[in-house]
Amino acid sequence: MATNESNLEQLIKIWEPSVEEPCIKVEHLNHYYGEGEMRKQVLFDQCLQIRRGEIVILKGQSGCGKTTLLTLIGTLRSVQEGSLNVIGKELNGVSAEDTTELRKKTGFIFQAHNLFESLTAFQNVRMSTELQGIPIEDASPRIEAALTRLGLGHRIHYKPKSLSGGQKQRVAVARGIIHEPQLILADEPTAALDEESGREVVTIFQELANEKKSTVLIVTHDNRILDVADRIVVMEYGKIISNVLVKPNALMSSVIREFSVFHSLTPQSLSHLAEKVTLQNYPSGSEIIRQGDIGYEFFLIGRGEVDVEVDGKVVNTLSQGAFFGEISLVKQQPRSATVRARSNVVCFVLSKDEFQSVMDSSQSFEEELRNAIFSRR
Amino acid sequence: MSSGIPLAWKNLTHDRRKLVVAIGGIVFAVMLMFQQRGFNDALFDSTVKIVRELNADLVIVNPLRFSLSSEIRFARSAIDEAASHLGVSQVKPLFIENIAARLRIDKHRAHPIRVIAFDLNNEVFFDRIGEIKSQLARLNEPNTAIMDRLSMVGYGFDLSSSAKFPKMGELSGRPINIIGTFQSGRDFAHDGNLIMSQENFANYFRYRGLDPLSIVDLGLVKLQKDADSTEVCKSLQASFGKKFTVLTRQQFIDKEIGFWSRSTPVGVIFTIGTIMGFVVGVIICYQILANDISEHMGEFATLKAMGYKNSYFFGLVICQSIYLAIFGFVPGLILSWGLFYINSNMTGLLLELTMPRIALILIATLTMCIVSGLLAVRKLIAADPASLF
Repeated sequence: MATNESNLEQLIKIWEPSVEEPCIKVEHLNHYYGEGEMRKQVLFDQCLQIRRGEIVILKGQSGCGKTTLLTLIGTLRSVQEGSLNVIGKELNGVSAEDTTELRKKTGFIFQAHNLFESLTAFQNVRMSTELQGIPIEDASPRIEAALTRLGLGHRIHYKPKSLSGGQKQRVAVARGIIHEPQLILADEPTAALDEESGREVVTIFQELANEKKSTVLIVTHDNRILDVADRIVVMEYGKIISNVLVKPNALMSSVIREFSVFHSLTPQSLSHLAEKVTLQNYPSGSEIIRQGDIGYEFFLIGRGEVDVEVDGKVVNTLSQGAFFGEISLVKQQPRSATVRARSNVVCFVLSKDEFQSVMDSSQSFEEELRNAIFSRR
Repeated sequence: MSSGIPLAWKNLTHDRRKLVVAIGGIVFAVMLMFQQRGFNDALFDSTVKIVRELNADLVIVNPLRFSLSSEIRFARSAIDEAASHLGVSQVKPLFIENIAARLRIDKHRAHPIRVIAFDLNNEVFFDRIGEIKSQLARLNEPNTAIMDRLSMVGYGFDLSSSAKFPKMGELSGRPINIIGTFQSGRDFAHDGNLIMSQENFANYFRYRGLDPLSIVDLGLVKLQKDADSTEVCKSLQASFGKKFTVLTRQQFIDKEIGFWSRSTPVGVIFTIGTIMGFVVGVIICYQILANDISEHMGEFATLKAMGYKNSYFFGLVICQSIYLAIFGFVPGLILSWGLFYINSNMTGLLLELTMPRIALILIATLTMCIVSGLLAVRKLIAADPASLF
């Protein structure tokens, strides 16, 4: 129980609404390719929020639109429909000057390295620092340090023709992060790299995220680097089908697993469930559900005690680990009792639809639930 | 350039072989332009060279004489009238024949040659090295003349430095003795020059009239020391009215050049030739720059994604255009100079590289490359960074 509480505390802390403006805010974003009869929709009503300092992995099959989303966020494509707010700037209708300013605050890492053959590794990276206006005295040691860190210390003044594919990619990475951008957009940054180099690259991402609060958005299929992600977003056919803050999800999963009713859920179902569950705070004395109302939610008590009142009389008291509100949802009838918070209560709340989908997806859950209901009366 | 890295230079010089091939094209265009301008100027220069050599401040000429080569003359009385005018020191008549002056040596066909004659006591030419002066005394002898070394080879005379004189020939049916040479130059209308005394001239060209020397081709006016040439020219013209035309030497030169450039196809032809050279240069330079941009589209699109502005790319391409212009101009200039030298010897025309002409072609070359740069940069501006993904 003690571990759960601290997990719970952690969870509550993470789920507290963030005062800060998110780094990336996507609202009802639609995107189309082609014109007239050939027009094809590639992004459907996308909604997403990514906070500063998050490392996000964007996954999905080819053609699912993840690259399109990345290019839109990076100002490389114009927003057609919907709202896309990046580093405080609305991109729908953005001006050319603002676009340039925003691009300077962004670091791009493409799949193709696109290095200038006529410049050395050092000079290619310097193209980035020069644009930022960093004087050569400051830029030079930085560039050398970055290239050395990426294993290119002995190749700093070589031209691309003397570098291998992996080395060229590492130079491109250095060019993309050397100016410590607020937003890093990377497309398969580790694809051409070996284990060690790939690890070094994501470590650099982590440092930038932790120390400089850089937001990192990575499109990748590389499973080796999944561990650095704070958030994993999965897309399919232009829609976001999953958007999970990994650590909170893990915490949530471990917390709700402790609830006996969810004991037998598979990790997959747990994760899915954890994604859909929200936390709600109820001050002492407040009504959580009222007798006679139509039921829309399912509740699990995370902290505190509640009184169950039927026709004004307290018939039961529930505490941490107990659940309520399921009858209305299962039996499709109005609330049979009023539940009032005795103390400050924190509940895990599941909406009716989500409740139904968890029921549908997990046979064991339904069984457990029915058993619990059966044994309650 | 906002970047401290000379990307324009680096990209251009990176592939040596490609650069040499590219420059070759521009050198060609430069040489084309030089050749066209060169011949154009040579024709004018050659035509007026003899005029530049004339020791005169003002020139009197028949108003109808549209060009030096036309044989429209005027009465000698004008010379005497002018001689007494205020500010005039001396007026010397000059006699010229061309069509009627057919020179022949055995085995070769008779061919027109320009014959210039004057009173041997007059210093008609500037004659800086005194070559003509030293031979004047011997020109008093009957049937003698000196010949221009730069006359065409086709006459049949060996006029090289080792040639022996006198040489015998026939001028307009009468024998003639070439006793020596001088240097002037050929032009469009004249394949050679002879200088003789006016007395000999009168004998050869009796067809001119009872007194052949009463009809004059040019009147050469020398002014008094402090006289202002423009002033005297105006007043002399005023006193002549419409009967004769009086011009300063420079005006006479300009009039002659004006005739050739405006009333004959010469100017037009060479101008078209120059424009063609220019257009060829634009096309070649455009190909080079556009090709470079195409090959590095990915890199440029990356720079755009990083936040480089269009103004940077403009600067980059213009910079490369200027480098190409200079890389092409210098060898083009040197090779053209060599070609001028060869051509000059072959044609006898005066092919000269003067500073103003070099400057003109330099400006044309720069314009040529910058125009093609501006055309090529559109491609770069259109680079789409979204295509990088």
